[in-house]
Amino acid sequence: MTRLVDTLKTPIIVALALIFLLLIVGEMLSPGFASPTQIMRLLIVAALLGIVAAGQNLVILGGREGIDLSVGGVVSLSAIIAGNLMNGQDAGIPLAILGCVATGALIGLINGVGVTLMRIPPLVMTLGMLGVLQGLLVVIRQGIPSGRAAPGLSQFVTQPFLLGLPGIIWLWVLIGLFLAFLLSRTVYGHRIYAIGSNEQAARMAGVPVAAIRISLFALSGVFAAIAGICLIGYSGSSFANVGEQYMLPSIIAVVFGGTSLAGGKGGYTGTMAGAMMLTVLQGILTTVNIDESGRQMIFGATLLLLMLFYGRGKAMRA
Amino acid sequence: MAKLKISGVSKAYGATVALSRGDLELQAGEVHVLIGSNGSGKSTLCKIVAGSVRPDKGEVLLDGKPVTMSGPRASKALGIGIFYQELSLAARRTVEENICLPDLPMKGPFVDRKTLSERAARYIALFDGVTGEGFSPDATVDILRADQRQLVEIMKTLASEASILIFDEPTSALDRAQVDRFFQILTRLKQEGRAIVFISHRMDEIFSIGDQVTVLRDGATIGTSRIADTNAQEIVRMMVGEEPAIAAQAQTSSAASGPVALRLANLSGAGFSDIGFEVRQGEILGLGGLHGQGQSSVLRALFGAGAVTSGDVSLEGASYRPHDPRAAIRAGLAYVSGDRGRDGVIQGRPILENVTPIHFLRNRLRLASPASLKRKATPAVEALKTKFASFAHPIGSLSGGNQQKIVIARWLIDRPKVLLLDDPTKGIDLSAKADLFALVRTLAAEGMAIVLYSSEDAELLSNSDRILVFNGGRITRELTGAERTRFNLYEAAYEAA
Amino acid sequence: MMVDAVATPPRRPGGIKRFIEAYPFLPALIIMLVLLALNGIWQPRSVSLVGITGLIKTYMALMLLAVAQTYVVYAGDIDLSAGAIVSLVNVVIVAVMASLGDSGVSVLAAMAIGLGAGLACGIVNGIVVAAFRLQAIVATFATSIFFTGLALWVMPVAGTPAPATFWRTYGGRILDVPFVFWAAALLAVILYLLARTRHALQLLAVGDDAQGAYQSGLPVTAIRIRGYAMCGVFAALAAFCITGDTASGDPLVGGKMTLYSIAAVVLGGTALAGGYGTVVGSVFGALIIGLINSLVYFVGTPSEWQNLVQGLAILVALVAGILIGRRARA
Repeated sequence: MTRLVDTLKTPIIVALALIFLLLIVGEMLSPGFASPTQIMRLLIVAALLGIVAAGQNLVILGGREGIDLSVGGVVSLSAIIAGNLMNGQDAGIPLAILGCVATGALIGLINGVGVTLMRIPPLVMTLGMLGVLQGLLVVIRQGIPSGRAAPGLSQFVTQPFLLGLPGIIWLWVLIGLFLAFLLSRTVYGHRIYAIGSNEQAARMAGVPVAAIRISLFALSGVFAAIAGICLIGYSGSSFANVGEQYMLPSIIAVVFGGTSLAGGKGGYTGTMAGAMMLTVLQGILTTVNIDESGRQMIFGATLLLLMLFYGRGKAMRA
Repeated sequence: MAKLKISGVSKAYGATVALSRGDLELQAGEVHVLIGSNGSGKSTLCKIVAGSVRPDKGEVLLDGKPVTMSGPRASKALGIGIFYQELSLAARRTVEENICLPDLPMKGPFVDRKTLSERAARYIALFDGVTGEGFSPDATVDILRADQRQLVEIMKTLASEASILIFDEPTSALDRAQVDRFFQILTRLKQEGRAIVFISHRMDEIFSIGDQVTVLRDGATIGTSRIADTNAQEIVRMMVGEEPAIAAQAQTSSAASGPVALRLANLSGAGFSDIGFEVRQGEILGLGGLHGQGQSSVLRALFGAGAVTSGDVSLEGASYRPHDPRAAIRAGLAYVSGDRGRDGVIQGRPILENVTPIHFLRNRLRLASPASLKRKATPAVEALKTKFASFAHPIGSLSGGNQQKIVIARWLIDRPKVLLLDDPTKGIDLSAKADLFALVRTLAAEGMAIVLYSSEDAELLSNSDRILVFNGGRITRELTGAERTRFNLYEAAYEAA
Repeated sequence: MMVDAVATPPRRPGGIKRFIEAYPFLPALIIMLVLLALNGIWQPRSVSLVGITGLIKTYMALMLLAVAQTYVVYAGDIDLSAGAIVSLVNVVIVAVMASLGDSGVSVLAAMAIGLGAGLACGIVNGIVVAAFRLQAIVATFATSIFFTGLALWVMPVAGTPAPATFWRTYGGRILDVPFVFWAAALLAVILYLLARTRHALQLLAVGDDAQGAYQSGLPVTAIRIRGYAMCGVFAALAAFCITGDTASGDPLVGGKMTLYSIAAVVLGGTALAGGYGTVVGSVFGALIIGLINSLVYFVGTPSEWQNLVQGLAILVALVAGILIGRRARA
């Protein structure tokens, strides 16, 4: 019985229950909110956030105050690079993927090197990187047109692909399975938890701490880049700073998924639920007929309320 | 009437019971010693009185009146001051700021810096002449040595001017002169009528300063007696709960004749210099001497976790440079730290993940299949008689001794050439110690070379074939065969470096 | 026993180390002076009275917001809502002044209400983070959304002008000295006085080791809430400067400033982990950001490249500041 209660208290279950609840609330407030097409649309939006959160999740799991504020910049940059490399042609898709993933990996690599070898706190390093990326966006945008998504990509993101679900959702599921496997069944995954939980003990047990942490930041860049490509597929063309909206929500999704910001505890499955929950919540707020100010206030207050369920700090008094 | 009376106090953290039945009667004008092995509940009892731990049950009477400590502040207001074993200092603040932090002198809305300095100076002056090099009122705590930090925490405790003073292992890093000075101060406070609780593991200190002694074992108060009416053996008997028969059993040293496994020549580094020795296969080499004389530093340096400035190391005849732990592990070294919380346990992760990291590295594995890993890990944990329910449970669900066994087991799946044990039994229970040393002897018998440093002389004497005594970062004496006696060990350890 | 007497020989900090320990903002001061000199070389007018006045006028808000952020960072916390508080106070005072008319009384009333609003926001943050024990970084992000919502409720679209009394005073002179200099001098006095109260010391002690501070009997929760409250008040002051500078209300004006305020704090030599730093450093940090921006302009960087060069320069300054600070202390 206590086992059942414990299971029910896991963040994933809480998140799924809340998603279900939110869908019901949404349907009551605005009939049709929980219709299959609407849910599909929400899933696509959630997948975009979820893919960014995948990288964020890994960096946070790796501990030592791991956090990546530059993901938003990478998403924007990737969207514009992809748009230009494709320029509306399907033939450009492979090159766009290659170019974006390489860019994301490079940016993540630089973050990782700064954080590990130069021991810059992740928040500072990725904050500085965000500033650089925002500047880079201005340069690129002035020099070249913003580009357009290839029809194939748009179709992949928005049109049913398999079993009535668009490709991006399948991609997200694939990423979810991949990370679940990576974190639980590979040495690399065990090592991520080890450095996140106790870096010194991990080092004494022969874990290549610096290399792993650098790779986590690189992966974060890669996932953000993938999200950027998908984002341009979703919106057709990129516009200024499209990625900014993912920076902090990606962290919130991770937290709502039950991953501790202290590192070493959590996983990606919960983060997927967290991303869905955030998206549904935002979806409800855009559907109901209140003005922007009310929407933001309700959103902020709801986030605070939900946080009370998750990872509250330890009391000073034991 | 007792100044402070604690009865039936208990505290559990989940399934772990830290204190099951704590009783204590403290009189004004006495030094009351609390003694018990690590994990017996002493610190928990102190912290409950200090208000920083919330008791589950029990009663605290102050001057005969029941009180509830709602927190450290409330406790402070009731006239209770405490020295925390783990210290409660702000590292980047100065010595004088730390002494006065709990009770800043104010002048209107501003901190009265002049009074602050004067007040701090009064307590610093108590230790005049023994504070050591680099100690000054305006030095930040992070540049101080461990003993100096402990002095600051003592000064901070004294500055509370509380009528009840609790000292939880205040002398563990202090030198003789500092301890003497501290005891003079305690004696004076006692005469002033303060009630003092004092915790130490050192028998000589207990007998030189204590008036009463209360023994705790496994979270419960076993009994209290007057120091004058008892002796060391009786106290140990109460602590252990049986005759201390486990010791002795002198190792029949067979002067291992196998090939040399590890050789050090003129090795110098942070905390040690000019160290040279050989360990043969099948030999257990003990490192002795007072705590912190460089034994640990040498072992860590050999494992690539500490700096080496000069000298040579060879491993089975081949030259070996300790770069980092990874290289050391690959070369066939193993290292078990006594500070398992810092160096060993990967908290929050399953037991299995805590056993396997070395296996991954030695075999360059990429995939972690639980089934096959469990098969490999089972003999390793069984060799140590580790008690646990499932490999999937988090390591935190085990007792301290069993956690350390898991950490040691990670070295047993793929046998290392040389096993470095750095005070491996620190803070673990007697039966776990016995299991561990039984294993160490078996490993040696099977041909492994073992270097053992222990802060407990009895362990060292009964388990090593040879003992090198460290003093001031150097080897000052080698004890072999019949020379391995407690007397010789003490004599060598206390020699001036 | 002589534990550690051998293992860790006493570290005797030399002159420079000790100096940096006592004045952690020194690297920032040097970087700032170098930037000032470079500005002067490329554009002599930038170091004239007019140039400096302009710089301070533009960056006074960021200086204040960096100070605000510092008090929170002292205790090891962070406030991602600082910019949203600036926005909220900006629209609140503009709305109040708009309804009370253009007069000195109206300005003073608006400022009092603005300070109250900032304080209230800070206390909300403090309660959420310290009393409810939510993670500062996510909790203050949530409150920032809430405060932004409030700002939008007060003033849905940007553009309501501030009364002339307000911005003329801010941009004008008193006794022939630019108003912003008076404001800067007043700020210096306030910071000096605040540094002498117990607040800074207690916040730093909490940031150093919260558990230790708690066990020493410090009211850790109250201290952290106080830190956020101070942050809210200084964010309100920052909002006054923004309002004086832009002469209008904009519900999103402060949003971008949050991350800059954090960068300024780090540039100033304050440790994000808490327990170490100075508010003066943060003021320098804000000026460094301002000087980088103007230098990039003065050296004739093409306009589309300016953001990138600024971003790179700030990243380099952040990294260099941390490395120098660590080097000097090690």
